[in-house]
Amino acid sequence: MSDVIVAGVGLHPWGKFPEKSWVEMGAEVAMGAVADAGMEWTDVEAMVSGAMQWGGSTGMRSGNTIAAALGETGVPIANINNACASGGSLMRAAYAMITSGMHDSVLVIGTDKSPKGYFPSVPVLADEPRPPVDMVRWQVGVPNPAYWALEMRKRMEAYGSTEEHLAQVKVKNSRHGSLNPYARYRKAFTLEQVLASPMVCDPLRLLEICATSDGAAAVMLVSDKKARRLGVRPLVKVAACSLASGEFGDPTIRIPLLAAASDGAATAPLLSESRLAAQMAYEQAGLGPEDMDFVELPDNSSWHELQYLETMGFCGEGESEKLLDAGETALGGRLPVCPSGGFSSFGEATMAQGILQIVEVTWQLRGTAGARQVEGARKAITEVYGAQANNSACILTT
Amino acid sequence: MKQTPVLEGAFVSDPEPALVGSCCRSCDTVAFPASFTCPNPRCSRKDVVAAPISRTGRLASWTTVHFPPPPPFVAPDPFVPITVVEVEFTSEGIQVVGPLTGASPDRLRTGMAMETVVEPYYTDDSGEVIGWKFRPAEGGGDE
Repeated sequence: MSDVIVAGVGLHPWGKFPEKSWVEMGAEVAMGAVADAGMEWTDVEAMVSGAMQWGGSTGMRSGNTIAAALGETGVPIANINNACASGGSLMRAAYAMITSGMHDSVLVIGTDKSPKGYFPSVPVLADEPRPPVDMVRWQVGVPNPAYWALEMRKRMEAYGSTEEHLAQVKVKNSRHGSLNPYARYRKAFTLEQVLASPMVCDPLRLLEICATSDGAAAVMLVSDKKARRLGVRPLVKVAACSLASGEFGDPTIRIPLLAAASDGAATAPLLSESRLAAQMAYEQAGLGPEDMDFVELPDNSSWHELQYLETMGFCGEGESEKLLDAGETALGGRLPVCPSGGFSSFGEATMAQGILQIVEVTWQLRGTAGARQVEGARKAITEVYGAQANNSACILTT
Repeated sequence: MKQTPVLEGAFVSDPEPALVGSCCRSCDTVAFPASFTCPNPRCSRKDVVAAPISRTGRLASWTTVHFPPPPPFVAPDPFVPITVVEVEFTSEGIQVVGPLTGASPDRLRTGMAMETVVEPYYTDDSGEVIGWKFRPAEGGGDE
């Protein structure tokens, strides 16, 4: 089985780009990743691309659209959508194509332009006998952050977490983001400023929930044979790439559902898909959480960061706040969390955010992350969080 | 005025308001909204029937939504924040979300008894859309 090497990466700055098409953004990062790998567009053997729902039918075939723009070469192109976990799912698809020996180079592209505000549901055009639960949940009035707020209140009850903890996550990640020229938000916020931001779904405030952004990222994955031929240095290896879905009996009320197993009757853990994806990745890499030098986790909200540190095995239940309070999750700490600034500083661009994490880890492992460099970084894990129990984790090593 | 349920078959008003889910006669798994099959992966018989859920549960969590959700949510102008509550039904082993009614969120305490009611969600050209809501059980509300 061939090793999988990150030969090249491309990243577009994140923000709002009303004058620029997602096709241009996707083409830019695709060519960026190809060039960074020392390759030509015509050398790419296969492509996987995020099937971008906000772009309508054309967006769902983003890979073919980008290939048509850059010049069609007849290669296999798969367009994949796994909600906010799409980036990890794309990575896994490309990883499998290389480890199986099917291809020596696969280009992974995520490009997305998001609607403003709460993510809406995509209309159902099929002739269905009843409305999907995603329509009903909007009539009830449950936007995505409400799901996270319901979990956070339980966390506060169970562990005594406070509004200050939620704000401190943002303070930390905004400090990291202020050091990243690609981030949408580069202002370092104070605790007072975060606590003064408007309440959205209590206890979550505006600055504690990631924005919805336009963004694009691409990664050129190659076999070790191809990497040697290209002379890739340093060799950033994809040591694991997992994909998991939810388990029956999980008490998480998942976006966009309206019910779940009760906490008392649960037979699976909270965020069972996320716990599974992390475990699968550790097993695949033969490494554990204690081996990681830093982590890029899905900080869709401050609740996520607190919860995912536990879900990914970095501490016991209810202990994330202690790591935060002790400064261990900040740059310079024992386990920097989201040195890129995280989704908190970039905003969500659902097709691209998982690939953004891979780009950041690659730069960190190459030692080229500039002011936000994690000293001596050799191993890191990334994890995304997708609606309706989609999850993927990747471990990169050098 | 014509009344339309937000989701056909998801609740009843008589003899008392209650959610209706599905229950598997083989493994007792309850689902809400009702499913055409049993979601337990280890259940092979998957013999489901519609089943009312206990009227009263306990409050597991809640949040107040301060910005109006997008359509098909119908927001009054000016928008009045809505509170979404999560209620645990112990006998059925499930927790369900729905809008709070009949009490200010300030009065909510984890574990308090909540009961299901059926009330209008909003009015549009087709009439009144009705659905389930939760309020503190008898003696616990503001009314």
